[in-house]
Amino acid sequence: MRRALTALFGAAALAAPVVDVAQAATKSKVTVVKKTVSGAETQVDRWGTIRVTLVVKKTTTVTGTKKKVSRSIVGVKVPVYPNHTDRSVYINQQALPYLVQETLHAQMNPNIQLISGATDTSDAFVQSLQSAILLAKKV
Amino acid sequence: MQRVEHVMGMPIVVDVRDDGVDGTIVEQVFDWLRHVDAVFSTYKEDSEISRLERGELLLEHAQPDVRAVLERCAELREKTDGYFDARYAGKLDPSGLVKGWAVDRAAAILDEGGVRNYAVSAGGDMRVRGGALPDPAWRIGIQHPHRRDQVAAVVETRSLAVATSGEYARGRHVWNPHTSAPPNGVLSVTIAGPDLATADAYATAAFAMGARGPHWTARLNGYEAMTILADGLVLSTPGFATARETTFA
Repeated sequence: MRRALTALFGAAALAAPVVDVAQAATKSKVTVVKKTVSGAETQVDRWGTIRVTLVVKKTTTVTGTKKKVSRSIVGVKVPVYPNHTDRSVYINQQALPYLVQETLHAQMNPNIQLISGATDTSDAFVQSLQSAILLAKKV
Repeated sequence: MQRVEHVMGMPIVVDVRDDGVDGTIVEQVFDWLRHVDAVFSTYKEDSEISRLERGELLLEHAQPDVRAVLERCAELREKTDGYFDARYAGKLDPSGLVKGWAVDRAAAILDEGGVRNYAVSAGGDMRVRGGALPDPAWRIGIQHPHRRDQVAAVVETRSLAVATSGEYARGRHVWNPHTSAPPNGVLSVTIAGPDLATADAYATAAFAMGARGPHWTARLNGYEAMTILADGLVLSTPGFATARETTFA
């Protein structure tokens, strides 16, 4: 079961969005849709069944006649898992924790009020940014 | 009403957005924080923590708050497999918990005073309620580890505590207490949940765990996590990924 989930996330990593810098100058149309897809309910040996659903973000960029599609997994749920005894519920709560894997992106985001970050009491960069944001709100 | 004051060795921001709130309640919050500093500071010779450390004060004679915080430290040490430790290197230093605990109490002061839209932020960790009026919610950026003027993610929320522990800003301030080595491969861990003291302790512990941290965060009850790895990967618990994504929907 765990191997299957790992394979799933491997696929998510491969689907990292691609930005075509050369095309950025010409006019592009970008469409973003989010869809939830459900995997098949699958038998887990004699213990019961499992179903995995994913939230997929699909970004379509059309530049002239060129069309570029990228997809990334932004959410994972396991709505159905073997729970035919208390023990298997316990085991699955322990065994099913999963993580969503993505590539680090940077964003300029003026529309935030607070910043969470690791700080230093002397080199208090985050506070400085924080106070700058407070000031920026008053401009 | 926004006020920034330097207490407990860091600037603390109290941002109250309700109409008709006077400065009294904000003053009460800062009075509370100054009181916490006087009692818990490891830098102040006459604090209860310093006196406990020197053996001049017995634990049973310490303030109930001091005993409660030290008990909570012991509980969190157990919950984090010893990775959150207020007694690292033999010296009593509960400040890793005190900040979050003090902010949680500050939030309670505001709650009891009828304030419904506020943020209290201390050293990059915060607790928010309601909205940043006129905005209906608070938008919290998670610091990008390399680009100081940018964020790696945004969480929009009407009630949450968020804490981040990491290496990019402070140098190596978190060490693995089991190996006395800095954690490898992890730049920052952000934990979000109902209570800041717990979120902060979990962030510290998960960061100290290094590569094993993300999997540990996946098992936390009621708390969501986002870990930024040195190789540019971001590992989030599903709840964190969902909270973050709804912002952009």
